[in-house]
Amino acid sequence: MTKKVIEIKNLKKYYGKHMGIEEVSLTVEKGEVFGFLGGNGSGKSTTIRCLLGLIKATSGQRTLFDGRYENLTQALNHIGYMPSEAMFYPQMKVKDVIAFAAKSRKIDCSQEAERLCKLLEVPLNKKIQDLSLGNRKKVSIVCALQHKPELLILDEPTSGLDPLIKERFFGLIKEACANGAACFLSSHVLSEIKENCDRAAIIKDGKILTIDTIENLTRSQTKRVTVWRAGHQESFNHTGSSTDLLAQLSDLNPDEFLVEEPSLEELFMHYYEEEAK
Amino acid sequence: MILLRHELKQGLKNLLIWSLSVGLICWACTLLYMSVKDSLANVADMYANMGKMSEAVGLDKVSLATLDGYFATEIALMFGLGAGMFASMIGATSLSKEEEGHTSEFLYTLPYGRLTVVFWKYLSLVVNLLIFNVICIGFEVLAVWQVNLDFSYDLLMNYHLLAFLMQVELMTLCFFISSFNSRKQTGAALGITLLFYAMDMMCRVAPDLEKLKYITPYYFASGAGVFSQSKLEAAHLIIAAIVIALSLVGAILIMQKRDLKD
Repeated sequence: MTKKVIEIKNLKKYYGKHMGIEEVSLTVEKGEVFGFLGGNGSGKSTTIRCLLGLIKATSGQRTLFDGRYENLTQALNHIGYMPSEAMFYPQMKVKDVIAFAAKSRKIDCSQEAERLCKLLEVPLNKKIQDLSLGNRKKVSIVCALQHKPELLILDEPTSGLDPLIKERFFGLIKEACANGAACFLSSHVLSEIKENCDRAAIIKDGKILTIDTIENLTRSQTKRVTVWRAGHQESFNHTGSSTDLLAQLSDLNPDEFLVEEPSLEELFMHYYEEEAK
Repeated sequence: MILLRHELKQGLKNLLIWSLSVGLICWACTLLYMSVKDSLANVADMYANMGKMSEAVGLDKVSLATLDGYFATEIALMFGLGAGMFASMIGATSLSKEEEGHTSEFLYTLPYGRLTVVFWKYLSLVVNLLIFNVICIGFEVLAVWQVNLDFSYDLLMNYHLLAFLMQVELMTLCFFISSFNSRKQTGAALGITLLFYAMDMMCRVAPDLEKLKYITPYYFASGAGVFSQSKLEAAHLIIAAIVIALSLVGAILIMQKRDLKD
């Protein structure tokens, strides 16, 4: 049984003199949802594009499915990829795009495609050029999932999706992983990674800051707390346990309060500081 | 085959617009011969004796007083330019349209190797050209039948075989250009076609520029040359075959190596 579905070792990509990613190493295992967290231009898409052979890595190694398949083309048959932009041929109808993707894999995906289209409310008879970003994303989800791939690579998949479809989408991802698929989920939304992933890597400026389980990554996380009392607003950071926070809030006796995730930048700073120690 | 069908569907509208436009122009202009044949008969000698100007368009070899001569100079000129533009445009957009339309991430992450994509895309262009030529020849033959005068159908077919080779050469050259560009190079395609056409005119007029005849494919795909049954040097065909082979191999090598833009 293949355990390591993705194995990246010291992957480096330079665009001329400009560094895209440097020394990126990570593994994604069968059945897990692996988060890839980073801001815009941090190197998430570059890593994914190297993995899929859309761009050539300057150096380093990437192995898919433990080298089970002879070449990348064969491996691609077992991968479902959802690009961040979700662009298709504007003149084509949605159903034709989905059918084209299925035929390219030489598998009859009609039943699964139908199920996914119903669940995600995909407008099958519309032309791509008439679709909103959200609807294009839905088409992209169907194209990525209809052949029940062993590996899902999702690059910022939820932008443009409404909360209901987002929830159904993550339901589908969890269902696929429960059936043995692995998922590599890139996002800049911390809560999305926290709620849906088993492990995650944090990438900034092309370098991996840390890789750990979600539990460990968020354990030491600072929370941003805002309280409103007698018409006054007050904010502070809380780093301790939830019990401590509840005790503190009880003392403050606020009219209202809000506990927020730290921003990505705050999380990055936290790991920078940890690295410097 | 899936990719071939996909590419043909993508290019169907463009193919119909170009083939119907060029075909109808050729059809209409051939029919015009009936109304101008008497006046052309009167001025044919004058056109044939305009020195270098006559040589540039082939009127020194064929006579405008015959339907063969009219077709070889007027219709072949229009068809050659239209077909050349169509061939170079489809070649120049074939590979780069994926990056310009941001569909490269979709297409190239389906289980096709890049070589496979290049192969089917190229084949779809050849099929496009074949359909284009069949439609245009159909219109021409229809018009010649309607005119109902003596006409050399075998020379028409010879001309179209050479014109097809010229189109394949232009298309493959532009296909190569398309392989290293992430934007459709329509301007470059039209520019190359017009440049080759101008080269053909120049090499016929200026003896110093005679060598240009080995560069431009319009030289061997000359209506006047075919209908006057001038002997064609094998070198022209060999050069065309080499340009096609090198451009295709170049496109394959570049596509195998290059980074695709999202």
